[in-house]
Amino acid sequence: MKMSCLKGTTISFSCLKLAFPSYPSSFQNLPFRRTIKPLSAALQTSPATSPSTTKAEDQVARSHWKAAIDFKWIKDNKEAVAANIRNRNSDADLELVLQLYDHFFNLQKEVERVRGERNAVANKMKGKMEQSQRQRLIEEGKNLKEGLIALEEDLLKLNDKLQLEAQRIPNMTHPNVPIGGEDSSMTRKLVGSAPEFSFPVKDHLELGKELCLFDFDTAAEVSGSKFYYLKNDAVLLEMALVNWTLSEVMKRGFTPLTTPELVRSSVVEKCGFQPRGNNTQVYSIEDSDQCLIGTAEIPVGGLHMDSILAETLLPLKYVAFSHCFRTEAGAAGSATRGLYRVHQFSKVEMFIFCRPEESEHYHEELIKIEEDMFSSLGLHFKTLDMASEDLGAPAYRKFDVEAWMPGLERFGEISSASNCTDYQSRRLGIRYRPSEAPVASPKSSKGNLAPPLFVHTLNATACAVPRMIICLLENYQQEDGSILIPEPLRPFMGGRSVISRKL
Amino acid sequence: MKGKMEQFERQRLIEEGKNLKEGLIALEEDLLKLNDKLQLEAQRIPNMTHPHVPIGGEDSSMTTKLVGSAPEFSFPVKDHLELGKELCLFDFDTAAEVSGSKFYYLKNDAVLLEMALVNWTLSEVMKRGFTPLTTPELVRSSIVEKCGFQPRGNNTQVYSIEDSDQCLIGTAEIPVGGLHMDSILAETLLPLKYVAFSHCFRTEAGAAGSATRGLYRVHQFSKVEMFIFCRSEDSEHYHEELIKIEEDMFSSLGLHFKILDMASEDLGAPAYRKFDVEAWMPGLERFGEISSASNCTDYQSRRLGIRYRPLEAPVASPRKSKSNLAPPQFVHTLNATACAVPRMIICLLENYQQEDGSILIPEPLRPFMGGRSVISRKS
Repeated sequence: MKMSCLKGTTISFSCLKLAFPSYPSSFQNLPFRRTIKPLSAALQTSPATSPSTTKAEDQVARSHWKAAIDFKWIKDNKEAVAANIRNRNSDADLELVLQLYDHFFNLQKEVERVRGERNAVANKMKGKMEQSQRQRLIEEGKNLKEGLIALEEDLLKLNDKLQLEAQRIPNMTHPNVPIGGEDSSMTRKLVGSAPEFSFPVKDHLELGKELCLFDFDTAAEVSGSKFYYLKNDAVLLEMALVNWTLSEVMKRGFTPLTTPELVRSSVVEKCGFQPRGNNTQVYSIEDSDQCLIGTAEIPVGGLHMDSILAETLLPLKYVAFSHCFRTEAGAAGSATRGLYRVHQFSKVEMFIFCRPEESEHYHEELIKIEEDMFSSLGLHFKTLDMASEDLGAPAYRKFDVEAWMPGLERFGEISSASNCTDYQSRRLGIRYRPSEAPVASPKSSKGNLAPPLFVHTLNATACAVPRMIICLLENYQQEDGSILIPEPLRPFMGGRSVISRKL
Repeated sequence: MKGKMEQFERQRLIEEGKNLKEGLIALEEDLLKLNDKLQLEAQRIPNMTHPHVPIGGEDSSMTTKLVGSAPEFSFPVKDHLELGKELCLFDFDTAAEVSGSKFYYLKNDAVLLEMALVNWTLSEVMKRGFTPLTTPELVRSSIVEKCGFQPRGNNTQVYSIEDSDQCLIGTAEIPVGGLHMDSILAETLLPLKYVAFSHCFRTEAGAAGSATRGLYRVHQFSKVEMFIFCRSEDSEHYHEELIKIEEDMFSSLGLHFKILDMASEDLGAPAYRKFDVEAWMPGLERFGEISSASNCTDYQSRRLGIRYRPLEAPVASPRKSKSNLAPPQFVHTLNATACAVPRMIICLLENYQQEDGSILIPEPLRPFMGGRSVISRKS
């Protein structure tokens, strides 16, 4: 999938913005306006069908970052893009984007034309001429300049609106992804089997209560619902899970990281999340453009933002440990009891930056690492190829792992592995320089540098601690209420093999 | 008005009753407002001060102990930033773009060092009978205030969440203090000793200068904190116990440090007495604070509503119907830093640097770093 960037236009805008002082664009006064009225009129009367119009205007007023979207590609493949939008149940408005893009393209041509005229007038003024003629040229030059300023402002606003709408277009979808909702997701793999119990099975909340492992009630007073303290052996279990996971993933060549947990909201958006939507998952900081991260994917993606990496550096593989914060707005129901859905949790996340031709390979590698780790902990789980409506805008393809939770009497998600191809990298501005130039060029002065290409990014949960705690407590409960600690974790718990009641 | 009376007398009484009722409502409102104002002003009164605390500012703090000695180097000493750069341990520049200044990523061996410090510290403190905890890092702002911090002042150290009464914690002291808020504990439960691992967030508003480079002053960091709830008569004893634990741990890491009895102007409102530990940081060429141990007596417990029921009634009472329950009393609370990770990283890197730029790992941490004894350049 070839995606070249609309680099040229973006750069010229930032130059424009700096060169011209703010100028009230008073359309009516300039006779020049008549010729471009149809275009600006189109801008004013954007279809009211677009649900985001009011918000769009607010956001257009702010100077917003730009994604390197390949408009030409979208235009050339609009049927496929439209079908993809439908399959994903996205609210992106492709027609509007294409319309805006055409306007933008034409307005850009108009701007260039006017600029050309203005340059022509400036050149004419260099020669000798009558005073009256000079006066006329000066007048003409002035009109053209004012008209140009107004047009360029329109162009900026149009680009902002174009970006706003275009950024909503979700990533394309892998051909093997099942089309549809939750029920269409396909099981790729089933590992292990549900343990059999000769006694009544307890859920993690009950087990945790008897073993003095959690406190939800006090946390609700101190912080609010869906917060918790971990106590006693649950703390050791969390540390063991994090330490073991970091160790296992590092063995496979990943560079360990800890990350900031406060990030600028623009970085959150560039990763494909919506910090300011209704029902947003993102906590924002008062009097600040900062947000709390919901996953280390965000600060790790930001690690190489606005960069051109040498190809020899790729793939870059990171394993990051962080706390994660989620509002869980809109999530309710019985499956949100206890540790299953919480506002704050520890997570170890894997992240890969790679060349486009390798992302599918690394997607398989990531899911394999997860499967190996969960198997070695003795969990019974299935790996799902998520259906198109469940992908989330950035993901080209997504594999979820759901593990058996005897207390909940169902499978619960414990991890997610996404191939985001170039969706995030086009927003974060992450490219690489291929080592070899495509063709020997006669213009050797520039060296044989191939143009930079966008990397692909992938992310995968190595360990979401609360979900893992649920799995371990519920699957390894013994009749006497104690919990057996799976083998791999014992060295990380001081050699202990059981969590039991405190005396 | 319950008795029999003439109609006009009844009417007069009704009138009088009505006036009194309205007057009462107004008075009660005044009382509420006055109590609010009284509370607002009274809450600003700082805790009393231990008689041995030196009176005055920073310079009046007294060194009560000096441990170890500054290492001697036969080569030019580097600071932690330079060492970290050569060993690919941190990234401040990218973090500044992603998050803002005073944020950072830890990379490679620095991550292992952080995990080792946290794991070792938890283990050491648990050996001494402390119950391990992890805590919420978002708390209601009222809790922050009850612990003696000012979430909404100018130059506040506290990050607030938009459209919410929640704040980010600057220390686990806050959620741990909240653990027993509005409770009456049985005396037999005391002392309650907790060791809590959390991330901490501080705005560091108003802090500037050269000593804020690198890891010395950051907006987010990992910390292991000790917290004790005890009977009033025991708090001085536990204050000594806490500082001793810190001393033992820092000694076993081979650090050169001094313990300071902080002067009255440097105590912070909740603290009756505060011991700070400052460790020698060769790269900074000065001592830098690595921990703080405060005895808050009943300052926090009066705000958090934490009391205990003494076992023995003061005097045998003839009115046996209420049984011999002594009235509940406010606990005393204490808190002490077991490990503030970035400051410890500075100490370890700068004190244990070798001539070739590698870092020697102190003995106690080696088992927690897979047995490794050195942090060196990645090949």
